[in-house]
Amino acid sequence: MSGRVLVVDDEVEMQRALRTGLRYHDFEVRAVGTGEEALRESAAWRPDVILLDLGLPGMDGFATLRALRPATRAAVIVVSVMPGEKDKVRALDAGADDYVVKPFGTDELVARIRAVLRRQADLSAGEPVIRAGDLEIDLARRSVTAGGRAVRLTPTEYELLRYLALHAGKPVTHTTLLRQVWGEYAVGDKYNTRYVVAQVRKKLGDDPANPRYIVNEPGVGYRLQA
Amino acid sequence: MLRRAAPYAIAIAGVIVVTIAIGLVSTRFPVPGLSAFYLLLVLWLGATWGRGPAVAGGVAAFLLYDYFFVPPVGTFAVRGQTELLELVVLLAVALVTGQLAGSLRRTQSAAEALAADERAMYELATAALRSPEVTVALGLLSERAVRLQGVSRFALVAMDFGSAVHLAGGDVNVDEARQATWSYENKRPIGVAIADGAVKLMKTRPESKEPAYLPLASGVAVITIDPGASDPGDLRMLAALVGLADLLLDRRRAVLEAERARGFEASDRLKAAILSSLSHELKSPIASLRAGLTALMAPQAGLQPEQRELLGDLDGQASRLDRLVGDMLALSRLEAGMELEREPHRFADLVGTALHQLRPVLKGREVTLEIADDLAPVEVDELQVGRVLTNLIENANEWAPADGRITVGASTNEERLTAWVENDGPAIVPADLDRVFETFWSRRTRGSGLGLAISKRVVEAHGGTIRAENRRRGPRFTFTLPLARIAATR
Repeated sequence: MSGRVLVVDDEVEMQRALRTGLRYHDFEVRAVGTGEEALRESAAWRPDVILLDLGLPGMDGFATLRALRPATRAAVIVVSVMPGEKDKVRALDAGADDYVVKPFGTDELVARIRAVLRRQADLSAGEPVIRAGDLEIDLARRSVTAGGRAVRLTPTEYELLRYLALHAGKPVTHTTLLRQVWGEYAVGDKYNTRYVVAQVRKKLGDDPANPRYIVNEPGVGYRLQA
Repeated sequence: MLRRAAPYAIAIAGVIVVTIAIGLVSTRFPVPGLSAFYLLLVLWLGATWGRGPAVAGGVAAFLLYDYFFVPPVGTFAVRGQTELLELVVLLAVALVTGQLAGSLRRTQSAAEALAADERAMYELATAALRSPEVTVALGLLSERAVRLQGVSRFALVAMDFGSAVHLAGGDVNVDEARQATWSYENKRPIGVAIADGAVKLMKTRPESKEPAYLPLASGVAVITIDPGASDPGDLRMLAALVGLADLLLDRRRAVLEAERARGFEASDRLKAAILSSLSHELKSPIASLRAGLTALMAPQAGLQPEQRELLGDLDGQASRLDRLVGDMLALSRLEAGMELEREPHRFADLVGTALHQLRPVLKGREVTLEIADDLAPVEVDELQVGRVLTNLIENANEWAPADGRITVGASTNEERLTAWVENDGPAIVPADLDRVFETFWSRRTRGSGLGLAISKRVVEAHGGTIRAENRRRGPRFTFTLPLARIAATR
């Protein structure tokens, strides 16, 4: 068994398709149709990942997410039909670990689930060195190497890369980056992050047109590829 | 007539009384200058009745004094120089004081009339401003206006977004409404005009009781005045009422416009809500289809390779349907006039995002970039412009030969950024160069025909232009984007 997945979706056909598809990939799956059931099931069954549809009847997806977050250590992947970018940002800021846009293929979903599970395992291991591809960030020595070559970053650039690396694979919103790297006063000035990301990419030898490390999440923020 | 003669009779009587009094006094105490008593009378006459009675009194006093007291007594003849002087002084002083007292009285009565007008206006204006319905206030105003002398009708017509709406005062028939509209549209009064704070009748057909029209900022006052019966003070009051009506109509229009704007806003919200619910309804079944089909494609499902291939084809069709629905919704959003979220962006980043998203489609094909490192940032909606780039690059990818090249480039001048996407595939038929941007027009049999139509709308929503042309190497799509107003200074 590679993990427990709780599917929260009000469409029975979707529940059945995901139950079947995820079981073929060795996940243990339970499916519920409302936010209230999701809270109960999450407390009783303790899933590793919760797939939460935002368009639930009654208690909606955001309310469920806010209620779930303090009560569970499970990774939450938000699922939605054509979410506006604001919804994505809102979900991430409310504690979601990732989002998937409906419709999606099973392979794509499985890859996302594995990524959040891997990240959780890495975080609990507490490694002092974060690796993403051939990028290495030594948190203790505050040093960065890309492809074995040492990279000199300014303190701001380093903080930004460190924060992305600590959440490698997860989309990080502009607001979160601004708050974590610059502080509360900078929130709102998105061009700040765009400018510093461009600098970091240049120093890492990353091609903005074909990024290997830092990927743009349009309308949301950035993701360091794990 | 009688009323007008009375002051003169009183003046004469007063002079006789004063003459008798002077006669009685002068027989006992021979005091010179008793004629001054007349002056008191003249002063009083002037202050009370105006100049005419005062002058009449002055002349009468002059004659009686001369006759009874100036030697030779009993005649109008004057003997000595002193006496003559006394008489002349009496007459002159009587005339001047009469004149002064009269004009003082006129000023005072004018001030009183003005104060009365002002009080009436004030009361009307407060009542009008207090009443929540502007039409009620206009009704009050109209009632007040027809109480003025010679004014038989005071109707108010509002011009609401081009059509005449009767609001208050006597009825306005179709012809009059047409006249009012003409007067409003041409900003030309008919029959009357406002000059020096009063309504002035124009000289055409003085006896006619034809309605007159005064265009205001948001409507027209239709007034019927009897030229014979009108009073100057009342015409001044009428002008003030017209001014107040102008303000009230303006207020009404402001309220109407605010309501209309709220209405539009509500309909925009409704459109957005319908679109979002529509997208949910259309996409949810596709989502279940794709999840189910791809679930069965896993080797663990135990299906034969050709069965898996069939599922793959079906999933491809479901994806196509998903894209078509997505494109149609995007197009209707754009046509509903969706707001853009414009922010400064580096154009190279936008291209990078598009290329990253298109990786599965490009299947390893290299895209050549001709984008300088130091281009000024553009001020655009990231997602919408991302759509334009993915559409154009995907399009190029379909038309470029297997070993062909796709180029994305950009350059800037002071005003805008010009970007192009080029491939070395077959040229576009010249007649089709404009048609490629039409909705549902596609060079391919399988295309949705929406990608370029969406791109055109997005570019135009940013105030830019997009065009297709055939270069020597192959077709090129060129579009422009606005530069960020404040360039980053770091």
